[in-house]
Amino acid sequence: MFTTLIEKELKLVLSGKKFIWTFSISAILIILSMTIGLMEYKFAVRNYESAVNLNEQALRETTSYGNLFMQAHRKPDPMQIFSIGVHNDIGRNSNISSFSEIKLVNSAYTDDPIFAVFRFPDLSFIVQVVLSLFAILFTYDAISGEREQGTLKLTFASPVPRAQYVLAKLIGSWLGLMAPLAIPFLIGILILLLSGVPFTGEHWLRMSLFTGATVLFCSFFAVLGLTLSVFTRNSSTSFLLLLVIWVATILILPRVAVMAAGQIITVPSQAEIEGQRDGYSKQAWNEYESLMQKSWKARNVEMDGMNKAEAQAWREANLWQWMLDDEAAREETEKKIHAFAARQNEDLQNRKAMLQKLALTISRLSPASAYQLIAMDLSDTNVNLKSRYLALMQTYRKDFLTYREKKIDETGDKGGIRITMDSDAGLSVVTGRDKGVLDLSDMPDFSPKISRTDHLYQDVIVNMGIILILTFLAFTMAFVRFLKYDVR
Amino acid sequence: MIKLIMEKELKEIISSPKFVATFAVCSALILLTFYMGGQNYLLSVKRHSAAIAENQRQLGGLTDWAKVRTSRIILPPQPIEALVVGVSNDIGRSIEVMGRGELEAVDSRYGSDTIYAVFRFLDLNFIFQIVMSLFAILFAYDAISGERERGSLRLVFSNGVPRDKYLIGKLLGAFLAVAAPLALLILLGCLTLPLMGVHPSTGEWGKLALIVLSGFLYFGAFLTLSIFVSASTRKSSNSFLILLVVWVCFVLILPRVSALLAGKAVDVPTIDSISSQKMRLSAQLWRDDQRLISNFRPTSKEMEKMGQEFQEFMQELSKARNDKSMELARQLNEERTNKRKLQESWALALARISPSATFSIAAAKLADTGLALETGFLKQAYLYQKVFADFMVEKTGETFDGRHMIIKMSDSDETPEPIDPLELPVFEYQARPLLEVAAAALPDMAVLFIFNLIFFTGAFVRFRKYDVR
Repeated sequence: MFTTLIEKELKLVLSGKKFIWTFSISAILIILSMTIGLMEYKFAVRNYESAVNLNEQALRETTSYGNLFMQAHRKPDPMQIFSIGVHNDIGRNSNISSFSEIKLVNSAYTDDPIFAVFRFPDLSFIVQVVLSLFAILFTYDAISGEREQGTLKLTFASPVPRAQYVLAKLIGSWLGLMAPLAIPFLIGILILLLSGVPFTGEHWLRMSLFTGATVLFCSFFAVLGLTLSVFTRNSSTSFLLLLVIWVATILILPRVAVMAAGQIITVPSQAEIEGQRDGYSKQAWNEYESLMQKSWKARNVEMDGMNKAEAQAWREANLWQWMLDDEAAREETEKKIHAFAARQNEDLQNRKAMLQKLALTISRLSPASAYQLIAMDLSDTNVNLKSRYLALMQTYRKDFLTYREKKIDETGDKGGIRITMDSDAGLSVVTGRDKGVLDLSDMPDFSPKISRTDHLYQDVIVNMGIILILTFLAFTMAFVRFLKYDVR
Repeated sequence: MIKLIMEKELKEIISSPKFVATFAVCSALILLTFYMGGQNYLLSVKRHSAAIAENQRQLGGLTDWAKVRTSRIILPPQPIEALVVGVSNDIGRSIEVMGRGELEAVDSRYGSDTIYAVFRFLDLNFIFQIVMSLFAILFAYDAISGERERGSLRLVFSNGVPRDKYLIGKLLGAFLAVAAPLALLILLGCLTLPLMGVHPSTGEWGKLALIVLSGFLYFGAFLTLSIFVSASTRKSSNSFLILLVVWVCFVLILPRVSALLAGKAVDVPTIDSISSQKMRLSAQLWRDDQRLISNFRPTSKEMEKMGQEFQEFMQELSKARNDKSMELARQLNEERTNKRKLQESWALALARISPSATFSIAAAKLADTGLALETGFLKQAYLYQKVFADFMVEKTGETFDGRHMIIKMSDSDETPEPIDPLELPVFEYQARPLLEVAAAALPDMAVLFIFNLIFFTGAFVRFRKYDVR
């Protein structure tokens, strides 16, 4: 009985014109979005590789450790094909040097705003907006439509158990819905494989989780359609109600959540942060300068009362120490500024994390944003991508600077120029000695790794759990209600 | 006669449950857009003034203008930006101005607050482009084919109703049924702005009115398109599905594909390659100069004069280096800018095949959040740079490129007077005036109007020969 019911429902769905159209639209959209995602990924990889090459070339041309300078680049990940997330919004690289803080600059969208004008919907967007709509289209008239056509009355004239009927309805239309989702998706994966996207084992795990989340998300809307069709008498009413719910969950709730969170927790703008940092650094250099003036004056005072030869001898004896002192004071100032920036950065990150947490918690009420979060987590393009890279680059900066300092100490080559003035010997300038090509074989590399935090899968599971619970809830309601549905 | 048909259509739509649902959705969306847009604007203003105040504060306590060296300018938020977001959150909004050299806008809003980048904002562009076009389809997909199915078309034409009048009546009725409540809602939304404490200027109200007008033109385009398709099909379910496909193409596919095609057609050099070339040149120049510097021999033997001579020599070299670097940077940037402009114009031209893209281009132009925002901001920043450089020369006698630190020695023990931060020239961003943006957006609005004409003509031609049975 049960299989007959499912078969009947499936046949009904598959033979309908609705099916052909939804199938073709979703096939076009899914395959197109994956192909365009692929093109964007390849473009990003090309950019990344050429930038890394240029950087290496610059390193090869550097002739002094003092002038050693690095640029660390964010590496694109093939999972971005499924959900682009913030990948194009945040900077692609940062300078690594002792005199500048880590800052991600040159985002794809600031470089070429034309691509920001016409954003392409990625796969997760297509699923969220288009496929959820199709899911509704498949089930909005599941019960109320049959009632209107009178077939419901006919069916229950024979002893068909209601529980089996409603379950069969759901499974039948669910199977019908899976076809326009699964077939194009598999074709898309095939295209990705054929074009040589380097997927690792981890990627496959993520991809299967993504697929699972997508199926779950579409199922939620299919069940929701069924539920509403049980709660209404007319299919047109259920369709309109579903449309309203759809707009609210997909378009309104996620955005309102973020805006509300933004009102509750205020985060200072980047410009304000930079302003504070500028201010601090200007003050610090100001202090450094007055310190220098004082110590230079003190040194002159020591030499008071000496004759020329004595003063000269005294100066020569102490010059090295003085230089070391000045240098130490300068380094001290640089470190102080860096420490301030680090403190301030930590503060900012904490506030931002709070804002994000609040926003995401509110927005999870909508299965659409729960799904979006899963997709971005798995694609490694979520809101934390930036802070994660900042942390990676901070660590790298430390390693790089230690290496640089070590090398400078070993070779005694500071890079800049040294000027000595003397009334007898005149003025002489020593510039950094040209050492030819540097041996950089032991220089630490910046190798961005795909994040593998325990939180990631935990978050994904929690979000999937939310959608699952909502789906169950909706189905239970439909089930209970249908047992008492007036089939006339 | 037209009036009668129009009235009938209007009544039919307004009394339908479809209308109630769409109206509810629309009011929620529009009121939220205005409310959140207003709140968002206020928040941005707060953040903007905090940043300005911070910049002022950091100058306090300094005693020498030479130590100021740079000035940070920020693109201030505009009220209308929150209603039509455009690229305003994607472009850099802050520039560190030095006395000379290249300027670069950094810190886009989406880049620094990634949470906003994920869910984006609700704005009028989104509402019109996606939601209103769907509603247009929903209200008109069965305008002709649906009436045929129900048999009412046959009934109507058994009386002596001219077909052209019938079509126009249908169109006007459907248009009014949606446009009038929508206009009312938008008006209501506009009222909430002053209540929240957001006060757009007259020019901005004018821009907003033009944006809404373009929105209605766009809505009209989809409405006439729907009637056209409906007059070309026998069954309303067919026309609905065809329209859905067309909608997906116009709204989702065409605009981005055009940008991609333009990207393929015009190869714009990447920022990375440009900055690498610049870096290599400056490293090369520095190496060359190092040789000159080590060979430097002062003519005088006196300490003071020697120092002075050396300083002048170094200044000269630095200036020459800077000039050469700037020349290369200018060339590279010019090349990139030209290529980028070409790419952009290709992308925009191709995208205009879709009314959705045309509308969003027009709306962004009118709100001054289109691609011109970035170039305009930079242009004004360069003007400010001149003012700033002049000011610095007046105060300190030189300009700085922001990289070098200068330590001045003074023998006097008295503490110098602190500088007055208020003397620093203030950057005031001038938004493009109403007339200018209107002139820029006029061609796009005309294209939208032409879409209306084409679709309507199509509908008319098809309907004249439509088999009403």
